[in-house]
Amino acid sequence: MDFHFDEEERMLMVSAKKFLEKEAPARVVRALYEDEKGYSPEMWEKMGQLGWMGLPFSQDYGGYDGPFLQLGVIQEALGAAAVPTPFFTTVVVSGLLLQDWASPEIKEEYLPHIAAGDSIVTLALAGKSGLYGWDHTGLVAEAFPGGYRLEGSAYYVPYAHVADHFICAAKTPSETGEGVTLFLVGRHSQGVDTVPLKTVTGLGTECVVRCQEVEVPPDRVVGEVGKGWQYIKAVWPQIAAALSCECVGGMDKVLDLCFGHVNQRIQFGRPLSAFQVVQHMCVDMFAKAETARHAAHYAAWMLSEGMACRKEASIAKAWCGEAFKDVTKMAHQVTGGIGFTEEFDLHLYTRNAKRLEVSFGNGDYHRGIVADALDL
Amino acid sequence: MDFKLTEKQRAFRQEVRAFLKRELSKGIYPKGNNCFVHQFSKAFSKEVAKKGWIGLAWPQEYGGKGWGYVDRTIMLEEMFMAGAPMAYHFIGDRQVGPGIIHFGSESLKEKFLPKVLDSDVCFCLLFSEPDAGSDLANARSTAVEKRDHFLVNGQKVWTSNGHLADYGWALVKTNFDPEVSRYNAFSEMIIDMKSPGVTVRPIINMAGVHSFNEVFFDNVVVPKEYLVGKKDNGFRQIMTNLDYERAGIERLMQNYQTKEALFDYVKTTKDKGKPLSEDPLIRNTFARLEEEYHVARLYLYYVASLLDQGKIPTFEAAMGKTVATLYESRLADVATTIMGLPALLMPGSPEAPFDGMVCDDYLWSPSYTLQGGVVEVLKNIIARRGLRLGAK
Repeated sequence: MDFHFDEEERMLMVSAKKFLEKEAPARVVRALYEDEKGYSPEMWEKMGQLGWMGLPFSQDYGGYDGPFLQLGVIQEALGAAAVPTPFFTTVVVSGLLLQDWASPEIKEEYLPHIAAGDSIVTLALAGKSGLYGWDHTGLVAEAFPGGYRLEGSAYYVPYAHVADHFICAAKTPSETGEGVTLFLVGRHSQGVDTVPLKTVTGLGTECVVRCQEVEVPPDRVVGEVGKGWQYIKAVWPQIAAALSCECVGGMDKVLDLCFGHVNQRIQFGRPLSAFQVVQHMCVDMFAKAETARHAAHYAAWMLSEGMACRKEASIAKAWCGEAFKDVTKMAHQVTGGIGFTEEFDLHLYTRNAKRLEVSFGNGDYHRGIVADALDL
Repeated sequence: MDFKLTEKQRAFRQEVRAFLKRELSKGIYPKGNNCFVHQFSKAFSKEVAKKGWIGLAWPQEYGGKGWGYVDRTIMLEEMFMAGAPMAYHFIGDRQVGPGIIHFGSESLKEKFLPKVLDSDVCFCLLFSEPDAGSDLANARSTAVEKRDHFLVNGQKVWTSNGHLADYGWALVKTNFDPEVSRYNAFSEMIIDMKSPGVTVRPIINMAGVHSFNEVFFDNVVVPKEYLVGKKDNGFRQIMTNLDYERAGIERLMQNYQTKEALFDYVKTTKDKGKPLSEDPLIRNTFARLEEEYHVARLYLYYVASLLDQGKIPTFEAAMGKTVATLYESRLADVATTIMGLPALLMPGSPEAPFDGMVCDDYLWSPSYTLQGGVVEVLKNIIARRGLRLGAK
């Protein structure tokens, strides 16, 4: 048993971190928060050249057939940088969804571009409530002789305004009652409008996608009609594990910020780190970060091995999402006034931690999955 | 990165499981919670010894199997899941053996290692004293060196199974020079609990159970050859072994049976016509316990894997114990809260579910985060050694 990265994994991590330290220091992250595009096309291109987008895809589509753990490493590095990027929505969510469930024709058409890094594809899933469930999708699809017409609004769609394509989850009538179908829709399709939202993590990172009689031919259906929610559930462990890894990277950076502060800040004639309460708070943060690390890596490893890990992935997401959030709260206590300023980098992680905590299921949501897995 | 158990490890787990099923179904051994300290059976320990599983991780040259700590963790995990009575051999296997192997003379190795391996001797630990709990170096029991023996006087406390053990593994003061640091003033030695001058007095814990003892030494003669390692080096020797003692899976699974009992309870108890297990709040609570258990378990296997890699888990052992024992404490609390009034029924009471085991666990639970290193002291260790905070 070895809990550490092997040589290859470690090198990927080191190179990813180095790249992001150079391309996405805090100064750049802050600028991207104010950027209408919400990401840096230059950075995106460089990431593509490094082959990051190709990691999990088959060589048939120009990918590297890499194990899931490699995606986990990239996610962890991205979490440490807290940099807004369409990587997760394009590669982890949309890419894996298409790779696992789309027809050969669709895969031929979309995956090589995703893997090459010259396409942004994003999943339009949630409705206005932001709740995750087959009946909470914001779009409805109605069949007509030419295919389907999409109507309604999908919310919180990452990078919809700059994406090339959406995978739209829409309710389609079906006998099973769980009728959600996934449709590939180009951003410039007739009837599509994207409205950027101002979120806690930026001006241009999430949008509403409004559809008015958007016509979609039947060959743009991903997989089978009515099975869309099953496909999404099937990649939920990958999504959960990837987000968990992102949390781990973020926690490491927050701990660095805290330890730097407590070792330097002098009060009552001593550095804060000399005080036992402060030491214990740091230890509590460290405990969360370390346990989160193993939970995230374990889930990512199980996915690499092709093992069923619905429970372990949801344990990871519940634990890591809440741990990262908790660590940022404790970090604010420890960094005091200075940690509360915009100038200090902590808030970039506080924002990210909250986003990660509630994305694709908060702790309670994932505990529901865990409870199901326990046969309670 | 590889979390896979080897083929051999998987087979070993199945072998242990089958052994336990066979032995425990005989119905002749005690079993249950706290099974590494309070479920005591020389006969069961003998069966474990016959399989060669005592000293599993000891080097082969000393009669062990020379396997790793992950292997040992697998075995212990199965034992704890079954609530198997390990108290007779646990201390001997976990730390007396390794202590003798690391520091003991050839004569001590010959005299004691085979007996521990064969489950023919039971050891207790003689560390804590009334004035020396977290501050172990404040101990006052003395061992004055005479021509051919040490003369031991003093008192130990919290001695688990002191009333049942054959020998004690003791920390006693052997250097009385006030210029010498406390940490260089102690020796480790083995004390025959049947020696004249040794008196064992029960301490009843708040669960009403006799597990702990006071042990008094009144001019106890300890043969020189029972000194372990170097005179005055005892404190450091103990500190070395603490990293091995601290983060075994016993820190997570001491009340494993409560986990199973609670699961059973919520599946079979109904409210408004439905089992409690269908209540979203109960499901959420269970899942949260499962999260904590899962991450703690991973961490303890992590520590075992570090030991197998030849690394010294200077702060990781403290971290593992912290995370695991906090979970154990919470489990006892959550279980009794969910079960409510039935959980107030003690062992021996009519109508007590699970023979009062869950109530009993709650009364034992304050000790989980105290024994073998209180959580707060462990956090000091993690801060100092792991995070380098507060370094002088």
